Amino acid sequence: MNIVSALLPIAILLAFGFLGAFVWASRGGQYDDLETPAHKMLLDDVNDHERNSRK
Amino acid sequence: MTDLATTSQNFCTHCGNALTAESTLRIDAVSPAFCCAGCETVYAILSSRGLGRYYEIKEACELIRKPRPVRVSHESFAYLDDPEFQKLYLMPSLEDGRKTVELYLEGVHCVACLWLVEKLPELVSGVESAQLDIGRSIARLTLTPDAKLAPIAAELDRLGYRPHIIRHDEEAAALLKRENRTWLTRIGVAATCAGNIMLMAVPLYAGADGYAGQLFRWVSLALFVPTLFYSSVPFFRSAWSSLRTRSISIDVPIVLAIVFGGIISAINVVRGSEHIYFDSLSALVFLLLSSRYVLRRIQQSALGSSHLLNFLAPSRARRFDPELRELKEVPVHTLKADDVIEVQTGEIFPADGLVATPGGGFVSNALLTGEAVPTPVREDDLVYSGTENQGEPLQIKITATGLQTRIGEILRQAEEASRTKARIVDVTDRASRWFLAGVVISAILLFVVVYSYTGVDEALNRALALMIVTCPCALALATPLALSISLSRAARAGILIKSANALEKLSTVKTVFLDKTGTLTEGRFDVLDWRDIPELRNPNDRLAAWALERQSRHPIAKALVRHLGSEARKPALCPEISDFQETLGLGVSGTVFGHHYGLKTLPQRDGFSSPLATYIGLYRDGSLIACITLGDRMRSDSVPALNRIRSLGLEPIVLSGDNQTVVNEVASRLAIAKERAFSEFSPEQKREAVAGRKDCLMVGDGANDAVALSAAYVSAAVHGSVELSLRTADIYVASPGVSTLAHLLEMSKETMRTIHRNLIFSLFYNLLGAIGAIFGWMNPLFAAILMPLSALTVFLSSKWGTSALRQVFSELTT
Repeated sequence: MNIVSALLPIAILLAFGFLGAFVWASRGGQYDDLETPAHKMLLDDVNDHERNSRK
Repeated sequence: MTDLATTSQNFCTHCGNALTAESTLRIDAVSPAFCCAGCETVYAILSSRGLGRYYEIKEACELIRKPRPVRVSHESFAYLDDPEFQKLYLMPSLEDGRKTVELYLEGVHCVACLWLVEKLPELVSGVESAQLDIGRSIARLTLTPDAKLAPIAAELDRLGYRPHIIRHDEEAAALLKRENRTWLTRIGVAATCAGNIMLMAVPLYAGADGYAGQLFRWVSLALFVPTLFYSSVPFFRSAWSSLRTRSISIDVPIVLAIVFGGIISAINVVRGSEHIYFDSLSALVFLLLSSRYVLRRIQQSALGSSHLLNFLAPSRARRFDPELRELKEVPVHTLKADDVIEVQTGEIFPADGLVATPGGGFVSNALLTGEAVPTPVREDDLVYSGTENQGEPLQIKITATGLQTRIGEILRQAEEASRTKARIVDVTDRASRWFLAGVVISAILLFVVVYSYTGVDEALNRALALMIVTCPCALALATPLALSISLSRAARAGILIKSANALEKLSTVKTVFLDKTGTLTEGRFDVLDWRDIPELRNPNDRLAAWALERQSRHPIAKALVRHLGSEARKPALCPEISDFQETLGLGVSGTVFGHHYGLKTLPQRDGFSSPLATYIGLYRDGSLIACITLGDRMRSDSVPALNRIRSLGLEPIVLSGDNQTVVNEVASRLAIAKERAFSEFSPEQKREAVAGRKDCLMVGDGANDAVALSAAYVSAAVHGSVELSLRTADIYVASPGVSTLAHLLEMSKETMRTIHRNLIFSLFYNLLGAIGAIFGWMNPLFAAILMPLSALTVFLSSKWGTSALRQVFSELTT
């Protein structure tokens, strides 16, 4: 039973650690525009390619 | 750089729309094909700047919205740099003097558009960075301190993205952002707590007892505290506000279940009893919060009404400055009565006024009367704000501006009407209201009855089980889901719907009132038919006709030039004209290529005539060589769209301000009976026709039909500017014509069927659960399994229900 008393706080600490990360990301505006970045991801490759070929 | 992509010759290289018969003139085997001059211009700009990648990206990407041909407005946008204007509408400058501005861009439709807009810093000087929110079509530009806004706006316009300045409300925008982030935090907290409580619940259900059991129950209680006091706050607020207005919303039983469930579970934890409900309660909170957040985001992305209010009609005027004795461009809101302004050909009058130009001109009153044929005006005639100058540039002396103008008055009336419109409660609320009250009452009854037979413990358990199991969470999740799926699909097809209510109302519509000009027809003069007399044909005839008509400002001449322009657009080919003559109202003549050409109005001929059209004859050296028919062309999609509307069991009725012969002709082509086609209706008469009628849909343009649109049960604007339309109509369709609307009607019916099916599913589950709870067969484990299961069924039902919609919209977007 002692192992439960030790693991439970760790598990909860871990959970709240992730919650903290999530809150930090949403406060930072990571979820403000959910649509555009998904498309932009495809375009970044193109830009990188251009930059490399210019070098 | 890569070569520009060439697509199939049956589609416009720029916008990808199918080429119509009119535009097939432009096709030759080698060069790319375009549907209009606008698309061609953009193509030329892009290829000259080495931005041909646009077409490559476009080829590979998925469409976000339905594309449409480029329409360049050719505004100079000089008013944007007016300091007075900037003070009102621009965001405050950043510390180092740079400025930021937000623009709503019309015509953004795919990833390639995103790429192009963000390339703006390379295209025009002064732009430091450009970011596009593709979901809302809003671009945020950062400008250098000395940047001029006008050339930037003009460049966007030339690329086919007509910019609209958004009156920036920093506070509202910041508030919205903050609210969204708070929602997310609430969801995050609820998810963390619910997940961990469920983890504790597993050993408890498996029979953990003694020290471990107690520990898990206490930890569950601790984790439930933030769920109750932080995550559930929105439910408390909305339940409280609904109780204050003496109505019962879905949040009332939710709050009751959460609060009482929480209290009873907490008491049981303290007493060491097994009956705790933290797992179901926290999962309920998490699921409800998530579904509402999704709905919220989708509504915001479909350009919420809060944004529309901030829309500013882009308008400026050239005012005659008496001191400098020259014309100066000023923003429209600075105009006063007695100012003299000049309005160019093709421009909209910014105010009511008297014509001050001695010769007079031509004015299209289509906005006010719906009549497509331009009316001649003489000196001292009154012209109205919102109508279009189709003749020579006119100087007018202003008599009224802003809301005092005739169109301003119409808009004011329209806004009043939309304010008095009854607020219809949410679909979910209405459908579930009666049983929500039932749940609360029966839970109390159950408690009393069971208490008198057994005891307080069992009574509390059963009453609570009833409350939890009947809590319409499946319903609360599924209805927003079905609605939001439909709303977002509509937004992608270029349909802006103000509220989910409008979608619900659409599904109950029985009658469809249609405006004629601009809705069923193109709303402008066009060449409908060009018939040469074959034995007299000469390759230079059309070029000569083009050259002659180019000299005239008459609307008919402009239609002819538009039609012929494609063949003779290279300026090098423009032939010399001698002894040019224009007889007002009759036609033009002159000598070109050594022949005397003339274009004159032909008298109406029997067997050949149609009241819709005007006939022009092309003469060479006195003999008729071609017969040209001009008129307001019927949209190609009107007939199939109307058939579709009829097949849905709806009755179309035409309301028009145009004269009877024209309206009857259009109605007969659309197979609408004469007594269902009303002509010569003023905007006020149109309002009377639709006002007070239940289940009718009014379709018209956002300006002259504004009053009727706002008075109707539900209304859609298919023409006119976005900002004007959405002030009065419930729905704005960005692509002109009624075919998209026919799809929308189908979709609304499909959505409502899905919602009704969901209601039946969840009622069935709730009934089953309620019976179980009343007779005491319901234990926490069973309730916990039943709840997500019912939610899942309804979720799947929403998905299946919309697969049919997906088909409809894949037709639309491809």
